[in-house]
Amino acid sequence: MNVSDLTAPGQTPSGLTAPDRRRGWILPALVALAVFVALPAALAAFDRGYFYQIANLALIFVLLSASMHLVTGVAGLLHLGHAAFYGVGAYTAALMTSKLGLGFTVTLPASGLVAAAVAFLVALPTMRLVSIYFAVATLAIGQMLYLVMLNWVEFTKGPNGVIVTKGFELFGFGLSGRIAAYYTVAVVVTLCVVAIGRLSHSYYGNALRSIREDDQCADAMGVRTVRLKMEAFTLSAFFAGVAGALWAHMTGYISPGDFKFSESILILAMVVVGGLGSLPGAVIGALLLILLPEGLRGLGDFRNVMVGLVMFLSILLLPKGLLGEVSALGLVRRQFGAAWRRTAGGEGIGWR
Amino acid sequence: MIDPYYLQQLAIGLSLGMTYALMAIGFTLIFGVLNVVNFAHGEIYTLGAFAGLVVISATAPPVVAVIFAVLAAGALAGFSLERLAFKPFRRFTDEASLKSRAMRESTLLSSLAVSIVAREALELLFGSQMRSAPAEYLINTPVRVGPVILVTGDFIIFGVAAVMLVGLQYLLTRTRAGLAIRAVSNNPLGAKYVGIDTDRTIILTFVVGSMMGAAAGILMGLYYGAVFPAMGFVPGIKAFVAMVMGGLSSIPGAVICALILGVSESMATTFVSSGWSDMVAYGFLILTLVFFPNGLFGARRERV
Amino acid sequence: MTFRRLALATVAAAAFAAPALAADTVKLGYQLPLTGDTAQYGQDFRKAAEIALDEFNAAGKPFKVEIVFEDSRSDAKEGTNIARKFVDDKAIVGVLGDFTSGVSMASAQVYKEAGLAQLSQTASHPDYTKISKYQFRNIATQAQEGPYNAQWMASKGYKNVAVIAEQTDWGQSVVSGYSEAVKAGGGTVAFSEFFNRGLKDYRSLISKIERAKPDAIYTGFFYEDGAQFLKQLQQLGVKTPVYSTSAAYSPKLIELAGDAAEGVRLTSNFLPTDPAPNVQHFVTEWKKRSADAVPGQFPAQAYDAVRIMLAAVEKAQPNPTREKVRDALAQTTDFPGVTGKTTFNAEREPVKELVKVEVKGGAFVPVAE
Repeated sequence: MNVSDLTAPGQTPSGLTAPDRRRGWILPALVALAVFVALPAALAAFDRGYFYQIANLALIFVLLSASMHLVTGVAGLLHLGHAAFYGVGAYTAALMTSKLGLGFTVTLPASGLVAAAVAFLVALPTMRLVSIYFAVATLAIGQMLYLVMLNWVEFTKGPNGVIVTKGFELFGFGLSGRIAAYYTVAVVVTLCVVAIGRLSHSYYGNALRSIREDDQCADAMGVRTVRLKMEAFTLSAFFAGVAGALWAHMTGYISPGDFKFSESILILAMVVVGGLGSLPGAVIGALLLILLPEGLRGLGDFRNVMVGLVMFLSILLLPKGLLGEVSALGLVRRQFGAAWRRTAGGEGIGWR
Repeated sequence: MIDPYYLQQLAIGLSLGMTYALMAIGFTLIFGVLNVVNFAHGEIYTLGAFAGLVVISATAPPVVAVIFAVLAAGALAGFSLERLAFKPFRRFTDEASLKSRAMRESTLLSSLAVSIVAREALELLFGSQMRSAPAEYLINTPVRVGPVILVTGDFIIFGVAAVMLVGLQYLLTRTRAGLAIRAVSNNPLGAKYVGIDTDRTIILTFVVGSMMGAAAGILMGLYYGAVFPAMGFVPGIKAFVAMVMGGLSSIPGAVICALILGVSESMATTFVSSGWSDMVAYGFLILTLVFFPNGLFGARRERV
Repeated sequence: MTFRRLALATVAAAAFAAPALAADTVKLGYQLPLTGDTAQYGQDFRKAAEIALDEFNAAGKPFKVEIVFEDSRSDAKEGTNIARKFVDDKAIVGVLGDFTSGVSMASAQVYKEAGLAQLSQTASHPDYTKISKYQFRNIATQAQEGPYNAQWMASKGYKNVAVIAEQTDWGQSVVSGYSEAVKAGGGTVAFSEFFNRGLKDYRSLISKIERAKPDAIYTGFFYEDGAQFLKQLQQLGVKTPVYSTSAAYSPKLIELAGDAAEGVRLTSNFLPTDPAPNVQHFVTEWKKRSADAVPGQFPAQAYDAVRIMLAAVEKAQPNPTREKVRDALAQTTDFPGVTGKTTFNAEREPVKELVKVEVKGGAFVPVAE
């Protein structure tokens, strides 16, 4: 990916005309409408717990996939242990609820913070690694965290899992009804995804992209690569931890099996199928890989082969993802951010 | 005098390490040529084991015939894997695609997708349960060496791994084909410019690597007397770890690191609960990477 | 976003397109792993359930029963999805499954909220039935099996024992249930450890056990791990007697371990060789459907679980509701199954009669000692 790619054909840097900017609010508004009005309305119309469950699960994985997008897509660091931070978040929420009796209002931010703190600690010695060495280090970290969840029986209850006695609530006000739970998940996920979007489509995101493209060059240009990598890793763990808290309070029971290596691979597959480096792609990838196995239930025992085949074909035919980075950057920056900064004279000077 | 208990644990660790090494050899070879992790190597291993089992249960042939059948299955699987999951991604030759990380991770994921399809298909065909070969084919008769008890399979695996390692070193350093493999792994474009048929070289590498993977699979199947669709997963991870720990480019390095992993696991079982023994192996990996960021035997490369 | 709506619409359309049921058909749900690493168990459960269902429907009852099988892959995500799906289907009056305790307990949260009775053939987590009054199980708990085995071993004069189990909630209960009974009986537990399920090489662990010099080893594993353990025990020339739980009771154990399984003693509550007509009927039916293989402990538990559920549905006639089925289940007393008589106590736990079994000459032989 080089610079000429980012400004795809037919779109010169200063080519954002006034209509483009006016159009900037339409797509976000449509998405918001879909998530907060149309989908809940459809859910309420069907009134089936199954659809609520799938919608919530899909949203949680959208957040997981988006958080991995930050580190694997934008900063280009192959991350093979993401599910472990999801697990750390879920366990934080579950243990705080079952041992200290705290509610969702407290456990949600706490889960994110604990996951981020753990990520920061393990990042300290390992963040200087590059390429595949980094990937295998994250694999080891993920496996070690999983082993802790499984084997430290006194603290995590090990394979017995933890029953989470409290559902969603906000300052003691219960949000456990179907529609309330959906809105809780939707609001949290949307806020997080918007935050991730702002992070990845900014000067900060561009600095991360520079590490991905050529870390030595970026270092020479004065980008603090190690520090940036740690920040991206920690931030992504924060969002994964938040997703973990949502999962813990949603299902009411968690056990280490929910956070094993294959989940990390599932999240990675979402990011890659959707399009590495593209946030809308990560969202689409998550929706695809959560909805597809459910939609294919009619096929019986054959469905998992189909999931694999669909995954294979989508990668084969669209190796840069269902919504690749180039088109995604155009989409996000034109439709969501109006992020092209220009001088008073209307001359473009760069991405904000 | 050393407590025979520790000698026994050391022997067990070495034999465990050999089983990882057997898989790591083919894995490292294939990684080397494309610089892409081949997630489907574990399934090649499983396929090899199933191919051997099917041949054994169908006709009960002599061992040599089983080996040839398995090698043929491995070669075929490696060839199709390369055509299906790796070749299509070399259709983009523009500079942007060559440098694009999205493309590289796509190749990785396509091998993962192929491995999912292969594993699920095996499950549909054979079921998830463990199968065992007839007892006369199994290679687990106990052998006493001084204070230590091993099984025949340990020696066979040691022999096979040694033959593979030496044969591969010979192939890579003494033959034209090996030279081509090394050239492609070093610089694919450069190799192309000097007239090497990169496509053929890559296929050759996959075929050789997959034959080794399949042979490892049937050996392990007969060694543990258990063949099942998910059998390639754990050794696959261990082989991956051993390869990176060894420094990617060095096959002997990967073998040594596989042995280190095996010994550290079995020794760890002495001091901590068996459930934690993997923790020691992974901790060892992290420590290695902190002090040797390019692996123990990796070539020096500039890094940030 | 339109994609998701589209997908939801498709799913909804598929759901509505399902053929309308005749009024005299009662539906049950069965969630179980039909694919994935534990599919072999789920496939067996489905086979057992189909046998039970076919006989029930062929018996000329005034109503028919249909079982909806859904594949959970032993994954809590999918398990809870299925649970919601079953709860939504108003025609479903009772649910069977899941296989692992983890998935069963995650799904149980849904059934608890919806008030739908869930009967698992294998969930062994001590807290599973404590979740709500809707959770039942048809498996002997380790609180019962542990002391039984401890007493058996003590009667053979084994005072100093080692215990190992897989690192799962069930393994935890194996070790705690057994160790407490041993200590209460004046014995000592010389060695106690967990291993990760699917471990291939037990030799390190075996050497470590041997160093503790126990009189006997008590083990909590399923047949796959059990076969590996026994084979490697034989390889290392260890002669210490091995005892195990009913979970290892499967013909597959002998098939995989060969003569290494010789002399293993375990408990069970199902004997395919039992001449009782219902047992023989089940074994013949099973052989017919699975190339002459003999069923093990788990399929038998599933068969009984389905029949207990069917009996409850029958008792709840006419017009069975979820609440009526639950109450009928709770009243199950002395149900004559292939795993012995089953009675649910006040905690919805079954009280099982256990039999002592030893592997002799490549077969499970009941022993009276």
